[in-house]
Amino acid sequence: MVTPHAAGQPVLELKGIGKEFGAIRALHGVDLCIFPGEVVGLMGDNGAGKSTLVKIIAGNFPPSHGEIRFDGQAVHFARPIDARAVGIEVVYQDLALADNLTAAANVFLGRELKRKFGPLAFLDHKAMAARALELFGELRSETRPHDLVKQMSGGQRQAVAIARTRLSNAKLVMMDEPTAAISVRQVEQVLGLIHRLKEQGVAVMLISHRMPDVFAVCDRVVVMRRGEKRADKEIGDTSPEEVTSLITGAKEAA
Amino acid sequence: MMKKELGLCLLLVVISAITGGINPAFLSWVNLLNMANLIGLFGVFALGEGLVIITGGIDLSLGSMFALLGVVFVDLLTTYQIAWPLALLLVLMGGLALGGIQGFLITRLKMQPFIVTLCGLLIYRGAARYYTSDSTRGFGYGDEASTLSNIASGNVAGIPNTFIFLIILALILGVLLHRSVYGRWLYAVGKNEEAARFSGINTNVVIATAYIISGGLAAVSTVLFVFYTNSVSPSSFGNFYELYAIAAAVLGGCSLRGGEGSILGIVLGTALLQVLQNLVNILGIPNSLNFAVMGTVILIGVLADQQLQSRRRRQAALEGLARTAPRSTHSQGKQGASAHGAAALPTGTGDQA
Repeated sequence: MVTPHAAGQPVLELKGIGKEFGAIRALHGVDLCIFPGEVVGLMGDNGAGKSTLVKIIAGNFPPSHGEIRFDGQAVHFARPIDARAVGIEVVYQDLALADNLTAAANVFLGRELKRKFGPLAFLDHKAMAARALELFGELRSETRPHDLVKQMSGGQRQAVAIARTRLSNAKLVMMDEPTAAISVRQVEQVLGLIHRLKEQGVAVMLISHRMPDVFAVCDRVVVMRRGEKRADKEIGDTSPEEVTSLITGAKEAA
Repeated sequence: MMKKELGLCLLLVVISAITGGINPAFLSWVNLLNMANLIGLFGVFALGEGLVIITGGIDLSLGSMFALLGVVFVDLLTTYQIAWPLALLLVLMGGLALGGIQGFLITRLKMQPFIVTLCGLLIYRGAARYYTSDSTRGFGYGDEASTLSNIASGNVAGIPNTFIFLIILALILGVLLHRSVYGRWLYAVGKNEEAARFSGINTNVVIATAYIISGGLAAVSTVLFVFYTNSVSPSSFGNFYELYAIAAAVLGGCSLRGGEGSILGIVLGTALLQVLQNLVNILGIPNSLNFAVMGTVILIGVLADQQLQSRRRRQAALEGLARTAPRSTHSQGKQGASAHGAAALPTGTGDQA
């Protein structure tokens, strides 16, 4: 396997990221690089600082210390929409879809295509369905644009959420526990989707508690503990046992 | 989606046919026009209520809004002798403003719609009664606003203008709800506000707009009702009318959980309610049973709809299984290594949402 590091410039680079909430130090001195087409697993126990890190990258709040560089440029996100503007998308566990709308409507939610008649703008259903079908095709998902999301399986719902990120041509997609609470067969589908993103040169950050999934798709695994990065290893150089001991603290760092 | 409206239409036809069979007076031209007038009167504000219900909220203040805006409107025309276009404009602005205040409290100050609009119901009614010292306001013998009166309560070729207004407003709102981006957002916000917000939609503006539209339509209804009754008694004018609107919307397929409903459904729901009221009179059922009949029909209607929906869902799930079974084994060949053997398992585990 070719290591993506050879690709050159990292898409996301964190330098010395720290975050304090009052007297509580949630993150301290986190350095991290992610390269295009790379899948990085972010692991750690509850309260290890994973979510804080993800929220900082997604622009939910700014870091107290350190610097974020995206595509080589230093960036400062005041709101999530700023992060989205440069090409960072987050796929949330289950709350990012409107059940009562079709797959196509969800893909285009907030970015609807319109046809203009003078001052009036109407939804362009046909164009949206066609583009959504294309996106599902790229992801090799059988999701049909006109199906209602509430009738879909967990895997198809993930496909819809991921198709959203393709619409905006995101360069970095962060996925929060995409394989929690879905069936085994659908886990396969979701991991397949992550492969598709990787093929298209998208960097993926996978936040997961499920060790087998991380080892199945990730190129690299980053372990957080007590707000610090304790390990950052190629998946081939580590094992589930080592990662487990890093997460629990049985092993301090690697 | 259209199945619900079709079912309602059918129900409407069946009930009308049976009632007409028992008492042909029901289908007389006079009675039909009278019903059309009432459907128009009650449909206009039901449309606004429907939009609010689609956001997952509720507007309980409509009836009291009629009373408050009604007494102010009559006073503007009679006591202050203001030209009717100006009075009309002021009342419309008043309705939009009241809706705006409620929308602000609900979206910005994060209060529950039920509480905000319940307080609206109490406050507006109280304000109307205080303003008039509980006395009925009406038009004198002068014709203060005969032009407007003719527009609001007149007819074109026999068809009551109120009904025509309803059709026009329903068409406009139908396009807004079913063909525009705003409508799409309204449905999204109603079902999953968080998802809508994550998609970059300003959910507060979308929700507040629904309350503002509802307030504006309440103002239009106020004017129509004022010229229908020709007087406003502040303690009873519009009493319980918000419940008619809620009943019409629910009967028409809106879910109080939000995210469901259609303009056509709301209009049909209003029509069904008015037909029921009329039928009580025409068939000589004691008038006191009026509300009981209405309540029973809504109860049965919603129950039947739920049962039909869950049956349809079960059928769709079965069809889904039949459909995906051959396909998933087919695509396995393409997916190769990543699919492993999992897709070849019996598909029974896979496709439940």
